[in-house]
Amino acid sequence: MRAFLAGFRLELRIIRAAPDAFIPLATAPLFALIFLSIVRQSGRPDLQADALMAPVLMTLWWIALQQAGNMITGDRWEALLEPLLATPANLASVLLGRIAALTCFGLISFLEVWIVGELAFGVSIPFEHPVALVVTLLVTAFATAGTSVAFAAVFVLTRNAYTFTNSLSYPLYLLGGVFVPAAILPGFIQPISTGIFMSWSADLLRASLKPPPIDDLWQRIGVVVLLGALSFLLGRALLFHVLRRMRTNGELATA
Amino acid sequence: MTALATTVNVMHHAFRAGLADYRAIFTWKSWLAGWMVRVIAQVAFFALIGERLGDDQKTFYLLVGNSILIAAVTGIFSLNMTTGERWAGTLPLLVASPSSPILVFSARGSYLAADGALSALAALFIAGPLFGMELPWPRVLAVVPLTAVVGLASYCFGTFLAGIVFRFRSINGLVVLTVTVLLMAACGVNVPLSYYPEALEWFSRVLPVTNGLLAIRGVLDGADTATILGNAALEAAVAVGWMTLALASFNRLASRGRRDGSLDYGA
Repeated sequence: MRAFLAGFRLELRIIRAAPDAFIPLATAPLFALIFLSIVRQSGRPDLQADALMAPVLMTLWWIALQQAGNMITGDRWEALLEPLLATPANLASVLLGRIAALTCFGLISFLEVWIVGELAFGVSIPFEHPVALVVTLLVTAFATAGTSVAFAAVFVLTRNAYTFTNSLSYPLYLLGGVFVPAAILPGFIQPISTGIFMSWSADLLRASLKPPPIDDLWQRIGVVVLLGALSFLLGRALLFHVLRRMRTNGELATA
Repeated sequence: MTALATTVNVMHHAFRAGLADYRAIFTWKSWLAGWMVRVIAQVAFFALIGERLGDDQKTFYLLVGNSILIAAVTGIFSLNMTTGERWAGTLPLLVASPSSPILVFSARGSYLAADGALSALAALFIAGPLFGMELPWPRVLAVVPLTAVVGLASYCFGTFLAGIVFRFRSINGLVVLTVTVLLMAACGVNVPLSYYPEALEWFSRVLPVTNGLLAIRGVLDGADTATILGNAALEAAVAVGWMTLALASFNRLASRGRRDGSLDYGA
């Protein structure tokens, strides 16, 4: 837990010094304007809440991929990986703490899209099921952090992680059903989408903003938690093997 | 060697350096399996919003707009070049050399305009049929040069922005992505220009993409040739305008960086 908290505090300091951390917070309001314009211009005000939630989910995916996913690679480039591994603290716990800080930071996008919707179009977030909404946001942040550990472990294996992460953004927005529910996607994609926690989170978020009662709320929240936890365990195991291989082959430094 | 021959020589070598950079980033396999998959997914993401709205015309509108936007996205990536030079520690050397940095940057990243146009066209010609959109033959061939103009205009705009931000390395990524989404929001990519307030509509006309996209929509919708050519000419004028501004401002901004020592890696 101490390693987790130390990682959390460290990342908050890094965010203050790194303008790139603000990229998703700069683009989330713009995406909200784009999506709201599309649905309003098409005469579909019933989709306004969905248009506001999509940028929040895109922000979390972005953080998982670009910032958290590149974390170990970045440390490796800056020759920090060796001293980090030499410390007694568990690397996965430090990493999870740092990623959790980023994910909490990303949740600011929720406030941003709320404000932009109000100011630009007078559209507010309809808090039909506030408890479900808050719980969904929290478990989504948790699952995002867990998945990010898996991304970080995989990306450190690639020769050019940035090219890889750039290529994955929109495929994951699509598969994660951030705007268009997985049920509307072509049939052959749906099974893949179902295995991604974000598609469950997106459906729950949309449902929490609509008046009808939410079916199987706690079971669906449980699936999000389960998929996030599985990703974290997978990432942790992968990280262990990757780092052991790097240590054995003397590949911890990039040179 | 005459001044013209020297300029051509510098641009030729800069272009080859750019191609070498690009080959280091992508192999043809990673371009197809990575970049193109992302491009098709981006266009499909927006086209599926049209499907969710239950309106085929809106689906096609979003599909065309977001396909052509890919040319701009890649063109704006030229902003990353100055940061790359700075990370590599070569920016001060470039500024100190007798040739103008703008010559080097404009030639070195010109492959981005070509790559952007190619990616955009691939997106349109793959995603279009996938979503059941008819591409009127042979009229659709006119989309090819028009997309190239959009890619070029975006690249010129990106080069201008590179001059503005190259002394502020830390905000480069922020500027690239915010500008890309701004173009997506303001250039008639997802909703018609008439949906915007009038001031924004005028502003969008001096940005890359807007006029070229209108010309391309005109080709696909069977508009008259004069309208298409008018919009294409406006897009070309926007390209010339941004490159002129880039030429006028870049050297002055570089000189300022030389004076205050903000060009090197540690600054």
